[in-house]
Amino acid sequence: MLEVLFPALVISSGIALSAAGITIIYMSTETFNFAHASFTTLGFFIVYQLLLMYGGSPYYYFIPAAVLTGLVGVTTYFTVNRWLLRRGATMVTLMMSTLGVDLILFGFINHWADFIREVFKGEPRSFLLRVYDFEVAEVFGASLKAIVPISLFIVLIIILGIHTFLTKTKFGIAMRTAIENPTLAKIMGVNIEYVYVTAWFLGAFLAGLGGAVLSMVETGSPYVGIRYIVPLFAGSIVGGLYSVFGSLLGGFLIGLSQQLGIYALSITFGAWITGYRPLIPLMMMVLALLFFPEGLGGIKWSQVRKKIGLFGGGE
Amino acid sequence: MPIQIPPILIDILMNFSIFLIVTLSLNLEVGYAGIPQFGRVLAVLAGAIVAGAIPGRLLVLLYNIQVEWKGEIITPLGSEYANHLLNFPIIDQINREILYPNPALSIFIFILTLALAAVFGALLGYLSSYPALRLREAYLGITLLAFGDALKLIAENYQPIVGATQGVFVPNVYGWIGRGGIQFTARIVIMLALAALIFLFIERLSKSPFGRTLKAMRDSETAANVYGVNIPRIRGYTLMIGGAIAAIGGALYAMYTGSMKAITYDRVTWTFWPWAFMMLGGTGNNFGMVLGVFIFTIFRTLIFSQKFLLEAIIPIQVAWLEYIMIGLVIVLISLFRPQGIIPEKPDPILPKKHIEQIRERVVKKK
Repeated sequence: MLEVLFPALVISSGIALSAAGITIIYMSTETFNFAHASFTTLGFFIVYQLLLMYGGSPYYYFIPAAVLTGLVGVTTYFTVNRWLLRRGATMVTLMMSTLGVDLILFGFINHWADFIREVFKGEPRSFLLRVYDFEVAEVFGASLKAIVPISLFIVLIIILGIHTFLTKTKFGIAMRTAIENPTLAKIMGVNIEYVYVTAWFLGAFLAGLGGAVLSMVETGSPYVGIRYIVPLFAGSIVGGLYSVFGSLLGGFLIGLSQQLGIYALSITFGAWITGYRPLIPLMMMVLALLFFPEGLGGIKWSQVRKKIGLFGGGE
Repeated sequence: MPIQIPPILIDILMNFSIFLIVTLSLNLEVGYAGIPQFGRVLAVLAGAIVAGAIPGRLLVLLYNIQVEWKGEIITPLGSEYANHLLNFPIIDQINREILYPNPALSIFIFILTLALAAVFGALLGYLSSYPALRLREAYLGITLLAFGDALKLIAENYQPIVGATQGVFVPNVYGWIGRGGIQFTARIVIMLALAALIFLFIERLSKSPFGRTLKAMRDSETAANVYGVNIPRIRGYTLMIGGAIAAIGGALYAMYTGSMKAITYDRVTWTFWPWAFMMLGGTGNNFGMVLGVFIFTIFRTLIFSQKFLLEAIIPIQVAWLEYIMIGLVIVLISLFRPQGIIPEKPDPILPKKHIEQIRERVVKKK
């Protein structure tokens, strides 16, 4: 059981981080970023490329991967998204344009994979970075790899960091204002352009970081994005699309339910059912959209507490 | 004398007719009705599943074909039909003994498959209308995308329908026409004719009161509602018609290639590419669809036929170059020419002649 739980935690952290990125971009610019899963794949490939070039441990390259992917996000904003936002394009056009970016990135990553194979003699179409990982402890006979505590620690840092940024810094508060009411924020002198750039940087940064985390348990290939796009969107949508913390929670919910759920089902029904694993996030996403559109972030916890009668019934 | 069409032209015309059918159905839903159909692959795959699963089984049942399986003589109808060891011999027997000598039956099976595909596609369109009435814009798009992915996942994993990853073969309904070049020429002619028929049908439809209702609904749902348009019903009809047409495209493609593998029907090829064709041609304009699909098909077939030459000149594989080019087209079109090459024109409600006559009459009265 623990052998399943540990990688599930890492995968969930990766999905949660990337899903939070989707939410940040969507909240500020109303753009469903289809290229997000490709950003996550970029995280995989930057870590792998730097590892091939400079050696050492993949952990050294988590921050460079996140920052470089963040810059790709900023580039996407300045080349595509900015002009469409200025024109007031519809949500579907915004989404379609990021789909174009996604196809470009997919072609680019595949070309990069060919380059890695020829120049660095790597195996870019199936690379395993988990061989570079090390064991930190043995828990009930299951080996606990370093990535498990590290990924959870990264998620914690991100939660604290985003919370501090959005509530304690002046720019973070301005950003929240701009998300809630762009017109009013403009009148009050908030430069909305900075808000958009920051959102794209942060969103892509989180996608790159999520990709780096995932690369320690998943087999890397240019097709990671195609496989992960649905869980990422599902995490963001189950999280309610308007709350960063909701999407982190949603990412964990999606990740854990697809990994542990399919494990539980495969014990009952046999191994053939693992092929249907992607159906779990798909179904959760559709159900959330149809029946629960506010998502986890929209639950009024004080009312839930009141109903359950815990903590003295809320306010 | 057999008519020979060069293979490259066959390839271009085949892709052109299939993608024209799929893109026209997408344009009906996106361009006319304003439904963000990001799950076009759902109906296309449904059509292909019908072509892979039903005509073969029907012929097995009608002619009582029997095979030996695990020491027993059985009539393969269930999962045995889709078994990759049995499927090829069964289809081979059907083709050689039943379909090739029997033109009338071949044509009947062809039409029946298309009709069943259309029914199944329309049914899935009807199911998609459940979210389409409750969600808006991008949310609906993502839900429809999820539907498409879900069906593909099931077709890829559930062996008894169409053989999961191994796929199944599709009976050859064109076999009676002849061998080699002439058969392929006939296939192309039939497919082009069907594409033309569907084009005329959608063009008629978009000029009919129904088409005008769709445009009214797309431009302002509230206004259309005020004028008494039953929005849920109209949306449901559109999704059903669109689904039926896309399913015909999928079934035609499966019958052309002679095999049905679920992995072929991915969302990039059957949803995102038609979107790119549509955006290039001009959303909401059927002639734009013809132009968009034509440009892309020529372009794709040519770069693939010149693959080795191109790869010697440029340091990137053609397959990846194609993704980059299509991505660039989508980005550039949405940035610089969102209306596409041929923009949508407001349709005159009556033919021009009638309008002139009315004007003359009014002018005379004055």
